[in-house]
Amino acid sequence: MEGDLIPQQALETTEQIDTADVVVGILADLDQEAVATVYEALRTLHGDLRIVILSSDGNSVQAHADSASSGKGPQLSVVPWPLIAPDASGAPLQSISAAYYSIFATGEKLGARAGCIIASKLEAVTSQWVCQLIQPVLEAEFDLAAPYYARRKFEGLLNSGIIGPLIRCLYGKRIQNPLGPDLGFSRALFGMLRGNDRNANRIHPLASLAPVAICDNLRVCQVHVGPRILPPPDWTNISSLLVQALGPVFLAMERNAACWQKARRSVPISGFGEPLAASDKSTTVDVNQLLNSFQLGTRDLQEVWGLVLPPATLLELRKLARSTPEQFQMPDELWARIVYDFALAHRLRTINREHLLRSMTPLYLGWAAGYAREVEAADGAAVERRLERLCTAYEVSKPYLVSRWRWPDRFNP
Amino acid sequence: MREHVKEALDQSTARFLTALARLLPGLVALTVALLISVVLAWILAIVMRRLLVSLRFDERLVRWGFPSPAEWSPMKSPSILVSRFVAALVIMTGLLIGVSAFDAELTSLFVQSVFAYVPNIVGAMLVLLLGNIIARFLARSVLIGAVNMNFQYGRLLSVGVKWLVIVLAVAMALEHLRIGSGIVELAFGILFGGIVLALALAVAFNSKELVAKSLERDPAKTPAETIEDPLRHL
Repeated sequence: MEGDLIPQQALETTEQIDTADVVVGILADLDQEAVATVYEALRTLHGDLRIVILSSDGNSVQAHADSASSGKGPQLSVVPWPLIAPDASGAPLQSISAAYYSIFATGEKLGARAGCIIASKLEAVTSQWVCQLIQPVLEAEFDLAAPYYARRKFEGLLNSGIIGPLIRCLYGKRIQNPLGPDLGFSRALFGMLRGNDRNANRIHPLASLAPVAICDNLRVCQVHVGPRILPPPDWTNISSLLVQALGPVFLAMERNAACWQKARRSVPISGFGEPLAASDKSTTVDVNQLLNSFQLGTRDLQEVWGLVLPPATLLELRKLARSTPEQFQMPDELWARIVYDFALAHRLRTINREHLLRSMTPLYLGWAAGYAREVEAADGAAVERRLERLCTAYEVSKPYLVSRWRWPDRFNP
Repeated sequence: MREHVKEALDQSTARFLTALARLLPGLVALTVALLISVVLAWILAIVMRRLLVSLRFDERLVRWGFPSPAEWSPMKSPSILVSRFVAALVIMTGLLIGVSAFDAELTSLFVQSVFAYVPNIVGAMLVLLLGNIIARFLARSVLIGAVNMNFQYGRLLSVGVKWLVIVLAVAMALEHLRIGSGIVELAFGILFGGIVLALALAVAFNSKELVAKSLERDPAKTPAETIEDPLRHL
């Protein structure tokens, strides 16, 4: 089973390694300097650890390992590993999912106690944060170390506006980036995910890590890391991004319904590392384009939204579409209820799931327009306060979700 | 003379009574077949209606893109219509079986030809149903895709796609029913070719401005390329 998941080029090298304490997968295309930093960081870990690094730049890492082979500290082995393959279907998150499963399979095969995945480029890769993703798992018995990226106000909007607040309110833990993708994890956690995989019930690892960890009472923490480098958006493909990102989150929501319905208020989780500030350039966003998309959606997608959203919400959206760009602001409670209604429609298969998630794009762009206009002149602290208000709105509206989830026919305001 | 008349009348009466006596079993069989089929249709209609209600057929139909039950009159919800259709089908079958009991060559041939035509009707109905479902699915795909690409006339395009597929399905169904096949083929060819030609002309000449406006979401106008867009989604 493991052999099927581990890439062929890595399988032979993995066969030569008996066991490992830690498996580190480098899926991002890091430059030489960043690779050296990761290597240095791993060398600073305490104890007589056997660390296996899965890296596409195996030669570079091996050179570092060889140059310090006489030194004390952890024993490092390198396994050549492919970068995340560009998916022919244009679904990068599916490729990431397959890559995560491969690393979990390698960790299981080598009997590793902990693992770490570096999947995104960070502006300033420091040795601290690489260690901090692993140390809570190795030394403090945490099962999931999620990243806490230094946030820029216009970046990671899908996470800030939907995924983060939704998972926080559902499962009751304040995780900034529940989908990672840079993560530290324990054997218990990846064993659970692999167990699901073996039961032919493959779940998306990124969308399921945090819910599985919380619902199975595993220990979750977050680690302050630097700002990520995010690629510019492909405006023709935002709806595909919504399908790929929200589909697995809604599926995990359906799978863990019994768990999240019990959770009440959210609580903070343990944090490691010093919070880092990201430099925010003073930029302006062309909200008119986003508003045009929203207004066009409100005009043309009524028949689709009418199957998903209750009449009161549709009325509010129509009112909102008539407001000027200067006045435009989607109320947080309305946005939270829209997300909940789409999650419910996804569960009930009200319409084809891909249609459903794609039809959410104008609504998301409308929310993004309001948010961008509101925080344009705001500093980092004000942005945090703004996002906290949004998360609170999600939590306040949770009874609405629970009622609709339990009685979709009877409770339809 | 009187005796001749009397004899002729007796013979006529005897022939009439014989014919009536021959016809009576057929009539009884027809009545029984009709009665049984009515009872069977009534039971089947009730079962079918309950089954469809428990399956939330009306709601599912709306999800598949058909008009909502509010648009149907309360007495003609889709579930009721389907159950009544099934009942009518059973009664019709009973009637045909009853008619065939007359044992006349003509009625037998008629019944045979009617039964031989049933697969065509069922096939045509399936084609229409599938065509409708596909048309609505494609229309919704086109509408959502067009809106997400900021295409101003997405709804028009979506309706066009829907009717194109429905027209195709209707033409196929009529072809299946062997009704005016030549005319249908010709009409469909003209209609389809006309739509394609109209679209081509719209792009090329007459609606150049309209199309240009519809395609306003050209790269020059997207925020991603006019200025460096600071928004990052995931």
